[in-house]
Amino acid sequence: MMKYESQGVAKLYFIAAIGLFTGQILFGVVMGLQYVMGDFLFPEIPFNVARMVHTNLLIVWLLFGFMGSAYFLVPEESERELYAPWLAKLMFWIFLVAGALTILGYLLVPYAQLADLTMNDLLPTMGREFLEQPTITKIGIVIVALAFIFNIGMTILTGRKTVINLVLLTGLVGLAVFFLFSFYNPDNIVLDKYFWWFVVHLWVEGVWELIMASLLAFVLIKVTGVDREVIEKWLYIIIAMALISGLVGTGHHFFWIGTPDYWQWLGSIFSALEPIPFFMMTLFAFNVVNKRRRDHPNKAAVLWALGTAVMAFLGAGVWGFLHTLAPVNYYTHGTQVTAAHGHMAFYGAYVMVVLTMISYSMPLMRGQKAGNQKAQVLEMWSFWLMTVSMVFITLFLTGAGILQVYLQRFSEDPLPFMVVQEKVALFYWMREVAGLVFLIGLILYIYSFFAKGDEVVFAED
Amino acid sequence: MRETFTKGMARNIYYGGAVFFLLVLIGLTFDTVKGLPKTDNSENMTELVAAGKRVWERNDCIGCHTLLGEGAYFAPELGNVYTRFGESTEAIKGFIKGRPVDGIKGRRSMPQFNLTDEELDAVAEFLKYVDGVKTARDWPPNVQG
Amino acid sequence: MNSDELQLKRASKAALFSLLNLTVLPVIGFIILLLIYQKSSSDSIDHYYSVIGIKTNVFAGIALLLVSGLMILLGGFDSPWTWVYVVSYFTFVHALFILFATWVLVRSWTGEKLKKNILSK
Ligand code: HEM
Ligand code: HEM
Ligand SMILES: [Fe+2]
Repeated sequence: MMKYESQGVAKLYFIAAIGLFTGQILFGVVMGLQYVMGDFLFPEIPFNVARMVHTNLLIVWLLFGFMGSAYFLVPEESERELYAPWLAKLMFWIFLVAGALTILGYLLVPYAQLADLTMNDLLPTMGREFLEQPTITKIGIVIVALAFIFNIGMTILTGRKTVINLVLLTGLVGLAVFFLFSFYNPDNIVLDKYFWWFVVHLWVEGVWELIMASLLAFVLIKVTGVDREVIEKWLYIIIAMALISGLVGTGHHFFWIGTPDYWQWLGSIFSALEPIPFFMMTLFAFNVVNKRRRDHPNKAAVLWALGTAVMAFLGAGVWGFLHTLAPVNYYTHGTQVTAAHGHMAFYGAYVMVVLTMISYSMPLMRGQKAGNQKAQVLEMWSFWLMTVSMVFITLFLTGAGILQVYLQRFSEDPLPFMVVQEKVALFYWMREVAGLVFLIGLILYIYSFFAKGDEVVFAED
Repeated sequence: MRETFTKGMARNIYYGGAVFFLLVLIGLTFDTVKGLPKTDNSENMTELVAAGKRVWERNDCIGCHTLLGEGAYFAPELGNVYTRFGESTEAIKGFIKGRPVDGIKGRRSMPQFNLTDEELDAVAEFLKYVDGVKTARDWPPNVQG
Repeated sequence: MNSDELQLKRASKAALFSLLNLTVLPVIGFIILLLIYQKSSSDSIDHYYSVIGIKTNVFAGIALLLVSGLMILLGGFDSPWTWVYVVSYFTFVHALFILFATWVLVRSWTGEKLKKNILSK
């Protein structure tokens, strides 16, 4: 059912992605419990260790997901086999082993010792949020990324060039380029923080949006049969708005870290425009699904695609806007409000777009046009369980955050951090329950790949 | 979308907008970096402070705490801990040193990192230096962080 | 342009201003919506969409402003819990109205009425 045999390497990447996703969520649930039962697993797995496992697994599995997606998409768009399938397989194993060793390193030795073992002193890059990986792992990531970009780049350059595969390539090159800032770690804390955002912000509110929009466009063409010309126009205008707003929008992180005052204005104004590209993705997805020329048998994939558009708008657009204006951010900066937004945005945009690609491509790689009836029903159940529980996680954290802001920062007589944390514990308990539902949804999702049932009937071709 | 708005136009907005605003960001970055000495407390940057930043990183303090509002939200803000602890590096050192190995029952506890005296000096000095960074509106809003 | 096309254009304009009234052009968007409604003849597609727009926005006004207002009134301006409810409620429900208006806009572009589920045509 695949058009090109080499698209099949994506399967490896997707399986690894789902496996690591599961690990991420397990550690999320552990942390959720540590939030209310402080001594849970202490001192074996302190909170900071659980947290780096949780967030690094997230980043690594999303990278697996993006790479798998690209390996599936690029041959089809370029109308040729992958330039070097063996390289894709080799890089898969290197990345998986390096990733697994890094996570084991976090869990098995104290972090300071891991720093010594990996000779962090030669080029200190560790110990910063999301960039906790040992320097040698970071170098490994760069090598894997270069080999990957070479592979898909050569495929595109020697094949058919479409707007979709070129935008995807641009996004992936941007991902690699901005990651290089993770090697810059000056002693000056203000400089350090300033350029740290060149990785984090310019990823999620910059080049990753290019990746997301192109993956979404690809799936939407496939499942709706809408004319490519129309879709490409949308794609251009979405990514144009993403970069026009998102580049200077980085300024919403330069409010309170010792950077010049003009960022209060620039950051507020430009980041207030950042919801536009996410809103346009919703409009775009609604529009092409409404104008679809056929009813694709893979209903689950259509659901994921629409869900991505909606949830990315909610998480990034709405919850981002909620705290992005400097006068609001003055109070909410670094509170549970931030965590609420971070969860829904990452889930709605990047988790869901990868799951959309998996949903569309996995049946094809397994020789079917779409999963069987039962598998699809289960997958759609898992969609709703995960998505609705993520909405609740977000709402509970938002509640905790507002209370925290009020008691700790806004009130006449501010209470100490730890006192406030105890006062909002109820919200953390509810978040944990929602987290368990999310985990159930994920288990169901994995199970759906193994479900047997009646084949779906195809209306046409 | 309307037929008068062509794909070519969309593409040009993308290229033009991306390049233009990338240049704007680069320009602003140069200006920011040039102007930093006014606010970044670099006049108090010493070898000890730099060593303290390494200690901070080697123990992944950011995995529980925020520093100037960035990091994790499990434990208190430390960008102003020097102020909160009565402008005493000794109090900071005493706190870090005094963490029980097995934690405090039922509560969130900070690990015992077994820092050497040099490391303790350094990390306390680092936190004092961060407290000296001049943030807009004197963020955080109050001493509780 | 024949009158059918004109009606379609006005229909999507109505759907657009319904969305704008919910977002960046409150009040002004509603006034324009009323004008479109006035110009439309009953039974036409632009009439249909301006009525939907007006209904959506009146309903949103009640659900958002009135209910939030009541929450503040009953909960008290100085209670942190008031703001926990008001901010979460307002943000979430507001977003739902925006999503609904967006779907309506998309439907108006094809000139069809709302009806029917998106996943099965
Ligand atoms: C899919 C896109 C997005 C993702 C994945 C995302 C994710 C995140 C994450 C994880 C953080 C916390 C960073 C940290 O640990 O310090 C964050 C912070 C922030 N985000 Fe987003 N975000 C996205 C889009 C947006 C958008 C569109 C806006 C604005 C409209 C926005 C506004 C903010 C702001 C203001 C902060 C800083 C919060 C604070 O001061 O503590 N984000 N985002
Ligand atoms: C099962 C549900 C989950 C639970 C219970 C959970 C719990 C947590 C906790 C306790 C933190 C640390 C907050 C802190 O620093 O104090 C955290 C951070 C984070 N989690 Fe999750 N998580 C879950 C699912 C997810 C999912 C599905 C994603 C991705 C889509 C995700 C992405 C993140 C990110 C990006 C951060 C860093 C946030 C920031 O810096 O603002 N988590 N999570
Ligand atoms: Fe950002």
